[in-house]
Amino acid sequence: MTLIGVWAVELGLFVLVVAALLAERPIAVGLTVAAIGILLLAARTSPRLWGWVATAFRTHRAAALAGAAVLALALPFFLRASPYWTFVATMALVYVTIGQGMNMQLGTAGVINLAGAAFAGLGGYTVGLLTVRLGFAPLLAFAIGPLVAMVVGALLFIPILKVRGHYLALVTIAFGFIFNILMNNLEFTGGPQGIKNIPTLRLFGYAFTSAPTLFGMRLPSHANFYFAALAMAGLVTWLAWRLYNSWVGLTLNTLRDDEIAAKCSGVSVARYKLLAFSIGNFFIGLGGAFYAVMVGFVSPPDFDFGYSLVMVSVIILGGLDSIPGIVLGACLLIPLPERFRMLHEYRLLLYGAVIVLMLLFRPRGLWPATVRRYGLKGPAGSFGVAGGGSR
Amino acid sequence: MSLFATRGLTVQFGGLTAVDHVDAGVEEGETLGLIGPNGSGKTTFFNAVTGLVPATGEVVFRGAPLPGLEPHVICQRGIARTFQASRLCLGLSVFDNVLIGMHAHVRCGLLEALFRRARMLSEVRQALKQAAHLLSLFNADLVDRGFDPVGALPQIDRRRVEICRALAAQPRLLLLDEPSAGMSPEETVELMKDLQIVREEMPGLSIIIIEHDMFVIEGVSRRVVAFNYGRKIAEGTFAEVARNEEVREAYLGRGSGTEGSARA
Repeated sequence: MTLIGVWAVELGLFVLVVAALLAERPIAVGLTVAAIGILLLAARTSPRLWGWVATAFRTHRAAALAGAAVLALALPFFLRASPYWTFVATMALVYVTIGQGMNMQLGTAGVINLAGAAFAGLGGYTVGLLTVRLGFAPLLAFAIGPLVAMVVGALLFIPILKVRGHYLALVTIAFGFIFNILMNNLEFTGGPQGIKNIPTLRLFGYAFTSAPTLFGMRLPSHANFYFAALAMAGLVTWLAWRLYNSWVGLTLNTLRDDEIAAKCSGVSVARYKLLAFSIGNFFIGLGGAFYAVMVGFVSPPDFDFGYSLVMVSVIILGGLDSIPGIVLGACLLIPLPERFRMLHEYRLLLYGAVIVLMLLFRPRGLWPATVRRYGLKGPAGSFGVAGGGSR
Repeated sequence: MSLFATRGLTVQFGGLTAVDHVDAGVEEGETLGLIGPNGSGKTTFFNAVTGLVPATGEVVFRGAPLPGLEPHVICQRGIARTFQASRLCLGLSVFDNVLIGMHAHVRCGLLEALFRRARMLSEVRQALKQAAHLLSLFNADLVDRGFDPVGALPQIDRRRVEICRALAAQPRLLLLDEPSAGMSPEETVELMKDLQIVREEMPGLSIIIIEHDMFVIEGVSRRVVAFNYGRKIAEGTFAEVARNEEVREAYLGRGSGTEGSARA
């Protein structure tokens, strides 16, 4: 019974989201927004309703995940009339990928990185340079991009290992600007024009620019990238969840909360910070590389400081150190300004406001991180006895 | 040869000599009390031994010199400590706070976390069992609250968790920095019982304990070292040190009442 309820809730949310995205007439927009508002209000004012939903999702976690996956796969079919919204949905998934990387640094390890856009840019520009200038296969370049972001990040990080807190923020901001200035002025990166005509991805001879027909429905070519981004974001989120629920996550959390306690517990703080920074930059670079093959074009403004701010807002909105929260944050924050185009000019203002409001009223985010359970079930007391903790 | 000994250990902060040529040591299984007025260099002595502040002089532990090593290496060699002002991660669970103590003994790393889940989980289960065992030495309720954040616990239980974290490292030498700080007299009695449990459960463990509470020092340590202005001014049994003129002058104050039983 509750299983049906879980799927019904998911389906209802899905319908509302699709309606909110596709609604054209003001009255339709108003209705969907009102419906979402009423639902949120109901969930917030009725603890019974909220409690029922929370319990249902907890007891049927696997079914809920499967349902969400099915709906996520179905989304392009509903958006097929609009390549634009398919593209926006894909960007949200790219930001899920990037957000998990940023969260590994800022949320889990407390290593501030305000140059997210630059590391995404390193991934993107690597793809552009390798394919256009050196004739690499796009897939190979796509695999190398994140590695470059990771290696450059590590090289940058080693000299500033001893730098902490605000100073680290300053160093990363400086790096972001240096990256942008270099891309703008270097000859081989195309200067302000950037790199055009990056060849698209091909898998087994299938070009991602061709429009697919699935189940008798013709989808825009963007749907290819949507499905690829879904796989990428899903994989990265799964890896991030595993890292969080492991010794690595525990160690990073400890050095974030108290570096001296971590040291005196035998943790090599430098090594683990470098690890978190590198894994994070790998994921961020992956998102950037994906962006390059999807759009086929990279230029300096695609990776300016504002986008670093977007990445930080995503994880603050979703919840620092919360793996599902990052997914929620990206899926809310990326489509929202697109829906309200009149806000587009004030996009940065919106992100700034999100950060300030969240830090003031809900500092742990919309979906706060929960206690680490390592994926083990059973009450705490059961772990004391032999063979404790069922499953 | 003793398990741990310093010779001429000195710590200088600019012109100030916080620890001044200290010779001290403990035998295996011994509990050494470390007393002295505020600012006499006790905590700095611990910080120097654990590598948190640079020091000159000799420190020999299990036959090998320590100075110049990083704090995490010193922990791996077998010295664990607690802190005067609690250094727990209040947002993390009780179990997590104890588990981090086992860091040096953990075998599973990045690869196991990502792709060899079964292997990692069996190690985590083992570690949780060990953590539950340590916690239940002091307070069985702590095990049931294992997945609660430490911030929700009362002061005495937090201190217990911190001691469990240090013990989880399976140290040979345990440094306790004023464990009774911020506790009520009743809680201090509880804490003393806890320390006696540690003593009984781990007979081979050497302990150095800093305390202002003479009742605790008298109860748990057979030998006492007294500091003043960074120097060691006395060493001996509690009764001997308490009788020492210089100690009474420096620590209890001139003519301040009865020997030893005064609570600082």
